[in-house]
Amino acid sequence: MKIDWNALLMVTGVSIVSTVVFVVLLAIGIRMVMVSRVQVKQGGTGSAALGGGYLAIGLAALLVLFGIYLIVPQFH
Amino acid sequence: MTVLFVVIAVIVVALIFDFTNGFHDSANAMAGPIATGALKPRTAVILAAVLNLVGACLSTEVAKTISGGFFDEQLITAPLILAGLTGAIIWNLVTWLLGLPSSSSHALFGGLIGAVVVGAGLNSVHGWVIVSKVLLPAIMAPLVAGIAAALATRLAYWIIRDVRRKHADNGFKYGQAFTASLVALAHGTSDGQKTMGVITLVLIAAGMQPADSGPQWWVIIAAGLAIGLGTYSGGWRIMRTMGKGIVEIETPQGAAAGAAATATILASSHLGFGLSTTHVSTGSILGSGVGRRGAEVRWSVARKMLTAWLLTLPGAGIVGGLAALLAERGEVAGVIALLVVLAAACGVIYHFSRHSKIDHTNVTASHEVKVLTSASAARLPGPRKIKKTKSAA
Repeated sequence: MKIDWNALLMVTGVSIVSTVVFVVLLAIGIRMVMVSRVQVKQGGTGSAALGGGYLAIGLAALLVLFGIYLIVPQFH
Repeated sequence: MTVLFVVIAVIVVALIFDFTNGFHDSANAMAGPIATGALKPRTAVILAAVLNLVGACLSTEVAKTISGGFFDEQLITAPLILAGLTGAIIWNLVTWLLGLPSSSSHALFGGLIGAVVVGAGLNSVHGWVIVSKVLLPAIMAPLVAGIAAALATRLAYWIIRDVRRKHADNGFKYGQAFTASLVALAHGTSDGQKTMGVITLVLIAAGMQPADSGPQWWVIIAAGLAIGLGTYSGGWRIMRTMGKGIVEIETPQGAAAGAAATATILASSHLGFGLSTTHVSTGSILGSGVGRRGAEVRWSVARKMLTAWLLTLPGAGIVGGLAALLAERGEVAGVIALLVVLAAACGVIYHFSRHSKIDHTNVTASHEVKVLTSASAARLPGPRKIKKTKSAA
């Protein structure tokens, strides 16, 4: 029996990349929503920042949905 | 009559193991959100329990083997399964008493291996498989999840560096609650199956259901309920070690740890490299502590946990082996004796846990899990745990 180094490497890479992508999207989303609120207070519309923020959070939410897809065997 | 009695005994004990599996692993998903306040303790365990139950009922393909390749499956008899389960339960309870998150799968494999060694000799166990499936993953899991969590934590704090903390925390709390829910659901699909597999194998071996058939509906429901109830009961001692003992968890850091645990568990289960949920979750919390500047990681706690992980297989194996000695002695009498011993051991451990009760009301009140009021868990020397178990067995 041999250790499957390929699988191990894949797991390492995929885990790190997807974790970082999810957290960075979430953090960017939170930051942009906050930036838009500051802009509104200063008299601006803040709509661009708000839209960008919700887009980032939405993408993070898609990753969560993909997680559910992976877990539930009936989906694939 | 004898067969029926043994089968019923195995089913009951398997469900008890499933319960301990639930409360041992409740913290894997929920320690983080409870520690940061993303979820209230009660809400968190109810959510985790429901998701575990749902997960257990979702899984279509129940584990066909219970040996995991560690030993020859043909050697295993119903009394040996009973002995193995006993070893796993007692090990799970002892580590729970000490507040140590150890792998329930390793406990199960260890208990069964110990029982098989007593029943069929040392040669029946495949040593190399133990290295590749236990030692290597035990080191890799915290490393992979830890690096992921550390990187993500560092980046998250950099991105939100000039956002006021109170505002940022709310968003991260949602992220944390969702990733924790994914861990709980994934846990149900994987660990719920183990008990169904054990019960189904015993039913097939006893000729009560056709070979190669799936689990009966009542087995699925019973196993799902057992793991769900176990999860609901919370395993607060382990929850405290993971949520408070390793490092103080801030919300962005908790979100990173949850994401790392989820990503690593899903990646490893889909790319064919089995990592323990427990090891992954602990590693990600540890990593998130390393990633946040100014966080104080308690490495003494981490070292203690690593020791517990490495001891789980042999430790549960010794208890399983001793239990097998008892179970092999005369069919019904041996089984009854084993059940009495198991009940006594559970009672003793429960009694000790009452000295320093930890529940949903005080889980985040401290970072230490004490067993005796005068001595902290850290000062309990290793060998004593085993001795205590032995004298109970």
